[in-house]
Amino acid sequence: MSTNFATTGDGKSPSQGAVRRLIPLSDKLIFSIIIGVILAILVIPPLIFLITGAFSIDLPGRAREWTLKNFTDILSQKGLTASLANSFIFAIGSAVFALALGGIIAWLAERTNAPFKQLAYFTTILSLGTPYVLYTSAWLLLLARSGPINTWYRQFTGSTDVLINVYGLGGMILIEGLLWSPLVFLLLGATLRNFNPELEEAAKMSGASTWDTIRRITLRLSLPSILALAMLVFIRSIEAFEVPALVGLPGRVHVLTTDIYDLMHRTMPPNLGAASSLSVLLLVLVSVLLYYYGKLTRNAEKFATITGKNFRPNRFDLGAWRYVGGFALCFYFFLMIILPLIILVWASLLPFYTTFSWAAWSRASFINYGRVFSSSRYITLLGNTFIIAVVTATVVMLIASLTAWLTVRKAPGSKWLDQLATTPLVFPGIVLGVGVMQFFLNMPIGVYGTVWIIVWAFTINYMPYGVRYSFAGMLQVHRELEEVAAVSGASPLLGFRRIVLPLLAPSLIAGWLFIFLLATRVLSLPVLLSGPSSQTMAVAMFDLWGNGQGPELAALGLLWSLLMTSIAVTFYLVARRSGTGIHGQH
Amino acid sequence: MSKVTNIRTFMTGLALGAGLVSTAMAQDKALIDAAKKEGAVTWYTTQIINQFARPAAEAFEKKYGVKVDYVRADSNQVALRIVTESKAGRPIVDVFDGTTVTPILKKEGLVERWIPESAKRFGPEYYDKEGYWIATNLYVLTPGYNTSMVTKAQAPKTWNDLLDPKWKGKMAWNASSSTSAGPGFIGLVLAELGQDKGMDYIKALSKQNVTGLKVAARQVLDQVIAGEYPIALEIFNNHAVISAQQGAPVDWIAMNPSLAVLSVLSIIKNAPHPNAAKLLVEFLASEEGQKLYRDADYMPVDPNVPPRDPSLRPDGKNFRAIYMTPEQVQDAMPRWTDIYKQYFN
Repeated sequence: MSTNFATTGDGKSPSQGAVRRLIPLSDKLIFSIIIGVILAILVIPPLIFLITGAFSIDLPGRAREWTLKNFTDILSQKGLTASLANSFIFAIGSAVFALALGGIIAWLAERTNAPFKQLAYFTTILSLGTPYVLYTSAWLLLLARSGPINTWYRQFTGSTDVLINVYGLGGMILIEGLLWSPLVFLLLGATLRNFNPELEEAAKMSGASTWDTIRRITLRLSLPSILALAMLVFIRSIEAFEVPALVGLPGRVHVLTTDIYDLMHRTMPPNLGAASSLSVLLLVLVSVLLYYYGKLTRNAEKFATITGKNFRPNRFDLGAWRYVGGFALCFYFFLMIILPLIILVWASLLPFYTTFSWAAWSRASFINYGRVFSSSRYITLLGNTFIIAVVTATVVMLIASLTAWLTVRKAPGSKWLDQLATTPLVFPGIVLGVGVMQFFLNMPIGVYGTVWIIVWAFTINYMPYGVRYSFAGMLQVHRELEEVAAVSGASPLLGFRRIVLPLLAPSLIAGWLFIFLLATRVLSLPVLLSGPSSQTMAVAMFDLWGNGQGPELAALGLLWSLLMTSIAVTFYLVARRSGTGIHGQH
Repeated sequence: MSKVTNIRTFMTGLALGAGLVSTAMAQDKALIDAAKKEGAVTWYTTQIINQFARPAAEAFEKKYGVKVDYVRADSNQVALRIVTESKAGRPIVDVFDGTTVTPILKKEGLVERWIPESAKRFGPEYYDKEGYWIATNLYVLTPGYNTSMVTKAQAPKTWNDLLDPKWKGKMAWNASSSTSAGPGFIGLVLAELGQDKGMDYIKALSKQNVTGLKVAARQVLDQVIAGEYPIALEIFNNHAVISAQQGAPVDWIAMNPSLAVLSVLSIIKNAPHPNAAKLLVEFLASEEGQKLYRDADYMPVDPNVPPRDPSLRPDGKNFRAIYMTPEQVQDAMPRWTDIYKQYFN
């Protein structure tokens, strides 16, 4: 695209020197400084407050005292080692399970001739619109002691015991793994789609069986992507809050994030010192992991399977096995969408939740839907959630696009900008929540308890995603286009607004929608930061579940998911047009 | 209280009442106008949303045109929220309720001393003499059971029945530091049997592997209804009645003694909406407000508004309860929680 433009003139771009003079260096420097200051104000205070909170004790009426006591306190509690071990087992288990499930589905959908591939994409889009709280609740209903699976087990075997006890590490891994499998499918699917088939063909020519080819060529070459993805799911599971809170806590399985939540919410007064020091520990852990993740993804280039040559990956002919593959794709759809949907629809019709029975069916009604529609409270929640998501997505994409532009155009200090904007990757949601809360509790600004504190925290949290999306789009826009604008007398900002922004639009819209969807369904930040008039849908769902109002949660959740799914479909269509892919470039 | 003083109080009340009616009405009008001007009131509540908080908020909004922002959480979390917010210098809440919230906040100096005159008709045990709180309703904590898993005849009737090996691993309760939870039951046992015998019973019960769930008592009962466990301990008996009316297979057991605690309502010091706060408290204490509790199948404290199911309320003969004030509960809770952690965690 950009080369076309460049060659329409005299076939030569204006000389670099002339342009440098036309775009005064100071202009970009000023932008750099402005954006840098904004990013610094966003990112640095929560870090500082976390660290001071962790390394000091601030008793009323006394001067702040610097100490390691918070750390020695939490380290001496016997629970910490157990939580740490649980966090690791949970994260490893979830990563392995999500990878196995998502990987098989990706291979079947992208590289074989199994039927029903479309179902895998459909599943992914639907899952993008579903709040994690709702999904987790659905699985808890399915796998409960009295849920259909355990009931049928007892009926078949005559046993009085349960087949699955979901409230434990096993249940947590199962549900978290299911939650992440669509992401694995998307990212691994992209890798497999761009696979050069020549190597596989060479293996086949040399007499390798299909299985050998998969094992020794396909798997081996995808290994870096697989490892990087495993690391990503691992990190995200270490940071996860929804599943540990809903599944782990009732079964008394504690992980680091729920420990932090407990310190803030279940002790009187809230133990900010201990929560901060635990947050710092988690922060360090995630930073180390991210460092290795970064190394892993950089090394991945050695295994590059995309070359300049034009090719289409061939599809393995599975023969009769293709129907087994097709069955697996259907089963995945059934597992991810139909099963949770059935149990949620069932629950939403009941006055109180019981498992499938005719007696319960006779009580079915639409009363829960009536409640959702008639309660003005849900309108407020809807408003809050949309305000938060729209403002966050807009602010993030605005700052991120400028950051990406300055970075790609190598403005002075832009390395720092990029660094600042991607730093929030190290914050698990719950840790960022503690930091932002500390910040605003100490600031004389009336933001605490309003939706704006959540917008603030989300903006920090999602800045790295925004930068990724903008960066991916920005790389496609050649600087010559702006130089032309500059030669014609436009200021750099005008050039950015009139040339870069329109060309960047598809990537920016995709990024905007991605952040919008995340902000509407994530719980970990709002659960700490929302006040009575700033609750979001995810928080309300969490409360409904905690208070045993499962049926109303189901009704609310289904209606909400319906709305969000239509937005997710829009997102998918836009992302496909922009060519960015659904999750940017990881 | 002797008969003479009773009559005297009554007469004085009558005389005062007659004289005050007109001024009271004028005051009410002034309060309503001031509340309307404030436009909104924030209520941190422990009442279950769809059972009481939402209908009550809607009734208040309809009557006075003052919006009610409510948040529902357990007592500890309501207290925690308020303390955090006040330390931050961000007063948000106006009115709050709970079984133990007020004594916690009283210590922090966060409770306004104001109660409506009308609350005095409830009787002295239902409002605080120092003026920190009024009770709105009574909670009676009993066991409950799933009627499709356990028949009425099989259901345990006494504390000794709970020690029957057939209930081992079949009972659940809320594991948090609250009256409607394991620690509350421990407090009840100690109050009834004394320290030594009480601890013997608690040790015996700990061998029954009661499942501690980190969820509100309402959800413990819901899990019993869903068939997760046959028996729940320390649930609110009116919750069982509410669910049974909707057709749920659940009933409660009038076990002697049971624990009775008060849900009390207070106003925060320096409330952002002081008049709307007073109006909401007046409303919930009025006969109209008390009828809302009744209609939600709660036990109102207004003697003129008996609960819809009178058997819910301990009569002192067939069904006996030990009453504890919010202050008593709050003082003893750390000790009960320690015992709970030692034997049941």
